[in-house]
Amino acid sequence: MNNYIWLVRREFWENRAIWVIPLVIGGFMVLCALFGRVDLMAVSSHALGRTVGQAFLGTVGATFFVVMSIYAAWYLLDCLYADRKDRSVLFWKSLPISDATTVLSKLATAVIVIPLVYFVAADLTTLLVAFIISVRAGSLVAGTLWQAGLWLQIQLLWLYMILTTAVWYLPVTAYLLLISSWAKRAVTLWSVLPPLALILGERWFFGTHVIAHQLSLRLFGFTEAAFSANLASWASATAADSDSIRTPADILSFLDFTGFFSSMATWAGVAVGIALIIGSIQLRMRRTEI
Amino acid sequence: MPALIEARDLTKKYGSHVALDRASFSVEGGRIVGLIGPNGAGKTSALRAILGLTAYEGQLRVLGREPFRDRTALMQDASFIADVAVLPGWLRIEDAVDFVAGVHPRFRRDRAAALLAKTEIAGRRRMRELSKGMKTQVHLALTMGIDAKLLVLDEPTLGLDILARRAFYDALVNDYMDETRTILITTHQVEEVENLLTDVLFIDKGRIVLDSSLDDISVRYTAIAVGPDHIDAARAQKPFYERRVLGKTVLYYEHPDMEKLAELGEVHTPSVSDLFVAKLSGDAT
Repeated sequence: MNNYIWLVRREFWENRAIWVIPLVIGGFMVLCALFGRVDLMAVSSHALGRTVGQAFLGTVGATFFVVMSIYAAWYLLDCLYADRKDRSVLFWKSLPISDATTVLSKLATAVIVIPLVYFVAADLTTLLVAFIISVRAGSLVAGTLWQAGLWLQIQLLWLYMILTTAVWYLPVTAYLLLISSWAKRAVTLWSVLPPLALILGERWFFGTHVIAHQLSLRLFGFTEAAFSANLASWASATAADSDSIRTPADILSFLDFTGFFSSMATWAGVAVGIALIIGSIQLRMRRTEI
Repeated sequence: MPALIEARDLTKKYGSHVALDRASFSVEGGRIVGLIGPNGAGKTSALRAILGLTAYEGQLRVLGREPFRDRTALMQDASFIADVAVLPGWLRIEDAVDFVAGVHPRFRRDRAAALLAKTEIAGRRRMRELSKGMKTQVHLALTMGIDAKLLVLDEPTLGLDILARRAFYDALVNDYMDETRTILITTHQVEEVENLLTDVLFIDKGRIVLDSSLDDISVRYTAIAVGPDHIDAARAQKPFYERRVLGKTVLYYEHPDMEKLAELGEVHTPSVSDLFVAKLSGDAT
């Protein structure tokens, strides 16, 4: 455990972007709140207020989450490759830390540490922005943005998202690690080429598209796997009837915890992920050169 | 006591290229061993195998362990600097010290700090801001701070000026080396290290061509410089190599008849670098 703490600290030294990017996003939002034009519609009802608050919290959260996902993917592709590129892998390997520990520390940084950093950044940003707008716009908006219950639900949603995306996308994150551990150059290109070649190959030789289908299920099937049907029906109802903004009674009713963790697809993905992680460790043991 | 490093038929292939060709050698504890060979001879492959950085064929035990399988445990007792300074550019010196102190149970922070203090490089600086020589010195301080039974150095002084190189080797012998440690070192500057080596391993084309202590070398090998008038008599004693220097000819012998040679001129024990040249050139012809 001690080694993991040092290794994660090391990732912060190497990748300052882990905290610089969320700081910049949060800083920009705070600046907008400070100097931007506050023009919230008159909030006439509790339901409407809740919707406004939700839209606000949701937008901030979604922004952080999307940027985080892109950054985490880039980080995974780079982390093991960078050690070989600058040849520092020989220094790291001169220390009594196993390659498995190293690889797992990088995985943990990508799926636990980085999301937690963004989570904290999103929280601080929402609190700061809500506070600033409340002061500027007066008491009318204040009640809308300071809904403790809603805020708590968003916290749970974040934690649920961090947990479920880490599990659901494990085959993807592990695949990126494997490429990072293997490629001699152009990691981004190499991350795209093998699946593309498999899809085209399958189509060419067999005329089927099983791989493409499985891949799209994995990449785009997350919402369906981790959230209940309530979400979809609410979303379509909102889209069809945009005049009256509906509010989800309870964000938590959208989460499908038991469904997600009892699904075959979830655990099949975990199995593939573990196999790819073992492959990454084996490559890390053998590859010291670019 | 079993040898610290025991290699038997150590073989490493890269595709069809054979970097190590059934190399067998052993290194005893408490020695300073020079692994000496021309470029591409297999030095780096041998060191990589010893340090568990690469898979190999044949038998290899280092400190009683199989290096590739047990690298993590091995690195508790062995430390190394492979090639040139490889500390990452983003790393601050003080962070590097903290990190090694954090993960290495045998790291003696006071010793590393003392070595770093001598370099007068500020701890807040990142590796990328340092010159090559400074980087190497930081790396050496980190490595020598580890209380290792085996220290492996691959071209440790590359990029250092003469003063720094001399200071490094002095520190290595006076401050670091004791009877509990073993040092395995490769370098192209053989002249610089031959005074501190106790043993040499000559490697050529993936094979060990000489595995000997310097004491044995002085018993086993002899060189003599003769003028043209004695050259035929000297050749009659079967030298394995000869070369011309300033009008004289230097001839190299293994286990010669010392009495006969002494009649021809002044005999001396060849230096490690001369013996290396003689051995590799002589055996090739």
